[in-house]
Order: sequence, then C-alpha cells, then structure tokens
Amino acid sequence: MFSKQKITVAYTVEKCIKCGMQRKRKFVNGDVLFAESSKCTSCDGMASIEKIFGEILEQ
Amino acid sequence: MNFTNFDFDQLFSMSDDTNPIMMIIWIVPIILFVFYGQRIQLYITSNEIKKEIKKLDSFKETSRNGLIEYVKINLKPVDDPIKKIDRFLDYFTIMPVDMDPHGIVDKVQHTVRSREDYTREQVKSLSPNVSDLELNKVQTLLEIASSLQMIYKIVNHMFLTAKKQNNYPLILPLQMLLPFIMEQAEAMKDAIPAFKAGQPVGDGIGPMVVGKMMLNSKKEIISFQTVLSETDFEGRKLFLLKAEGPNSTVGRPSDALETIVSKNKLDTIIMIDAALKMEGEESASVAQGFGAAIGGIGTERFQIEAIATNNQIPIFSIVVKQSVKEAITLMTKEIADQSDNIRSQVYEMIQENTKQGQSVLIIGVGNTAGVPQ
Repeated sequence: MFSKQKITVAYTVEKCIKCGMQRKRKFVNGDVLFAESSKCTSCDGMASIEKIFGEILEQ
Repeated sequence: MNFTNFDFDQLFSMSDDTNPIMMIIWIVPIILFVFYGQRIQLYITSNEIKKEIKKLDSFKETSRNGLIEYVKINLKPVDDPIKKIDRFLDYFTIMPVDMDPHGIVDKVQHTVRSREDYTREQVKSLSPNVSDLELNKVQTLLEIASSLQMIYKIVNHMFLTAKKQNNYPLILPLQMLLPFIMEQAEAMKDAIPAFKAGQPVGDGIGPMVVGKMMLNSKKEIISFQTVLSETDFEGRKLFLLKAEGPNSTVGRPSDALETIVSKNKLDTIIMIDAALKMEGEESASVAQGFGAAIGGIGTERFQIEAIATNNQIPIFSIVVKQSVKEAITLMTKEIADQSDNIRSQVYEMIQENTKQGQSVLIIGVGNTAGVPQ
C-alpha cells in the first residue's frame, strides 16, 4: 500500500569515436544504437550511440 | 468488576466433558469444514483469482487502447481502425495435427509464417504507405495485445468453469499456474512502451553484439528481414548474420543459413542469444555452451540443427541470462554492459575452435528493435 512506485527511465550513452569520451543522457525518440548522434564536447569528433538502456527509479 | 480473575475452566466447563455448549463449539466447525470446507476454500481462492483476472483485464484493455492510439497517431489510417484491430486481436491459429509427427515442423512453420504474412498485409491495409519500421512495430504491438487478450480469455474461462461447477479441484491448477501467468502478462504489458519507442529490449543483446561487428562492412539482405555481412578475423572468414534492424523483428536465420551453406563451406557456427535465467542465477550473467541457442516455437532451431547436422558443422553458443520481463522490456544497464565482454568471448571462441583459412558464421539471435547494423 505504501510501497514506492517504480518507473523505468531510458538513457542513451554516446561515445566519441575519436577520443572515446562517454556521455550519458536521457533517451529521445529516434535514438538507435550505433547512430552518429552529436558532436563530442571535448574534441571535434563525432559521438555515436553506444548503449541504450533503462534504469529503475523509485518515486 | 474485576476482569482479571476469570476462571477459564469454569467459564468453558473444560473439566466437564458432558457440557452441551462445549460439544457444539467443537462439533459445529468440524461438521462445517467436513461438508463445506471445499466451498469455503473455493470462495477464498476465488477472491484471489478474481483480483488477478481484473488485472489481466486491465492489461488487455491498456494494450488494446495503446495500440489503437498508436495506429491513429503514427499510421494515420484513412478509415477508423478500431473495427479492424478488434478483428485482428481475435485471430486464432490452429496448429497442425500431430498424431502423425512426420513433417510437422514444416506444417507448423507454414502456419506460423502464413499468419505473420497475413497480419503484415492487414497492417499495411490500414495505411498502405507505412514504413517497414512502423509496420513491424505495429505488428509486434498487435501480437502483444492479442496474446494478452488470449491469456485473459483462457484464465477467465477456467475460473468461470470452476465457479459454475462449484468444483474446487478444477480451480487448483489455475491457482498454481496464475503467478507464472501473471509474470508473463506483466512482462508483456511492460514491453509495450519499449517497442513503441523503438528501444532495444533484453532479447536484442545478440543482434547488438553482431550489429556492432557489422558496422563497417558491406551488408546484404540474405533472407526475409535478415542481413548478412562478411568480414575477416585473423585469417578466418566471418559471416555475420542478424535480423534487419532497427525494425522489431527476429528475421529468418534458418533460411539465411540454408542459403549461406549452399554457397560456402562453413566450419563453425556461433550463436549469441538471450536465455531465461533460473531462479537464483544472476541477471546478465554470460554462459557458453553447445547447440543452437534460439527460442521461439522451435521451427527455426529445428532447421538450423538439421542443416548443421547434414553439413557436420559444430554449433557453439553464448547466452546472456535474464528474466522473462528483462528479455522483452527495455534492455537493462547490466545486460547492455555485457556487449563488449560477449564480443571478446566470440573472438576467443573463434581463436580456440577454428584454424586460419576456415569460415565461421556468427548469428545474433533475437529481436533487433532499436539495433541497426
């Protein structure tokens, strides 16, 4: 009755092809694995989606 | 009045065996339970089952309404799709007669594939210009909604039959099976958001590993919704096979294998798939073994085993253990984190079991939703 509600939040992990830096952000519609998604924030390389996964949060 | 000095012996006349009130107190429940015990149990169990049936009903309705909403928004059908969708949800499949098991696998495969083809055509008829990605999504959502409807109908039927007959033993198997049924149903209900958003599910770990291995090589469609790519690794020729992503499909790896074997000499097959974990086993643990790691109704596995046997090709497997829910819902972090480990295990397996100049087929088995190549 008083148990916390569990929700799954989807995350996308981007990895820079050039410097290997990883960045975790919330999943947005249209994200698919291995797709080039954005410019790397630490170098001028392109980051591609390395992982998409869900994490359970308690509310 | 002093309430603390009751003499219970005196109150209930425990020392006196002939007290009629005492006799009634003991005998009435005994009679009640002898004659009406089963009915009382039926009543208690019924209430528990009713609650679960109510849940199943809500799952069924949620999946149906979710599907209708998705179709209306994303497929933009010309006509109202509700009638058509309701008709699809009630579709049934009559499995072939197995009194004579000879040729049963081909018959089952034919029936299942005919159903898939029919559903695909019907979804297309809702919106003729629908993309393959949306088509496969709707097809998967339709399968989920249809399965939840079937589960609800069967459980409700068993419950109502037992109630109608006032038959307690009839309700026992249902009571025992219900926790497992509920686990499956809840998993299916929770799978809907992931498929709608085109996110990878736990079952997609095999395609995820092989998809990454395919990234910089040429791909070709080898069989229905199945992609093949060729590459080299330390003097070995690698054939990489997976369902065509990012669509929500498992492809037809057995048909692909048949084509590959007809043109090439394979020395080893390695299959990567999700496997159901046993209770107590750690989720996302990786295990290696022999034999074809592929789930489903069994026809694909049968065909792969037959081809491998006829051509004397050993089959190795790598599986990632997970629960039913993990397999069909959004991939967990633990499973996603295993992808690099599995890839290195695949390469180790190739080095250990093949020689230079040999050919290896690596199949990423599973639903490839959200996993391109």
